[in-house]
Amino acid sequence: MTEDLLVDPEALREQVRDKYREVAVDPHRNFHFHTGRPLAARLGYDQATVGALPDRAVESFAGVGNPFSLRRLQPGERVVDVGSGAGFDTFIAAGQVGDGGRVVGVDMTPEMLSKSRATAEALGFAHVEFREGLAEDLPAEDGWADSVISNGVINLCADKKAVFGEIRRVLKPGGWLQFADIANGRPVPPEALRDIDLWTG
Amino acid sequence: MLEDTGFVDVQIGDAADTFGGATGEEKARAFEVYGYAFLARRS
Repeated sequence: MTEDLLVDPEALREQVRDKYREVAVDPHRNFHFHTGRPLAARLGYDQATVGALPDRAVESFAGVGNPFSLRRLQPGERVVDVGSGAGFDTFIAAGQVGDGGRVVGVDMTPEMLSKSRATAEALGFAHVEFREGLAEDLPAEDGWADSVISNGVINLCADKKAVFGEIRRVLKPGGWLQFADIANGRPVPPEALRDIDLWTG
Repeated sequence: MLEDTGFVDVQIGDAADTFGGATGEEKARAFEVYGYAFLARRS
């Protein structure tokens, strides 16, 4: 573990996988965060767009903001979704870039990948692909993406500089990073920052 | 951190009350945790 990291990255990944496995397979249980269509409405997603998606594309959505609120993706763009979960934002992105674009969702939780791939197939989205991988080691070529999106994922990564460096690697020069994440207005005590249980709960 | 890792023109959107009404609201309120959209360009 790198000395300046607050928690062990792999231990944190295991905890995150456990949590989001539950969100994938049992999305209607009570979590400490909102999920699904009520959350998408709370975060200001376009309701007609969300309404057109099937339940399985929306029910496991657990983002923290709207990565499309400051910029809409353009037709034909190539996009990487870091921590794509069950694919909600990936499918929103797929609609914005259209058939001439391409969207690659990356996630590390097998149950999320299985769900997102099945939904993409059901939707007939040939320009969408889901790959297994880590935010710190994205399975995409250097400079491939016009845009990178993410939602509520980077705060769950122990080495944020590594994540931003990897996002920079896969973006073209001048490419867009548009993501949503949480930030705290009051300082969290140092002992709490090193308590891995608090990162996901 | 975005600027330190090679991004420019950083914009931050309005705060979203991500945890309001959820089980995690009390903890979020204690540290004023909200969701934000971020936009930046690769340099």
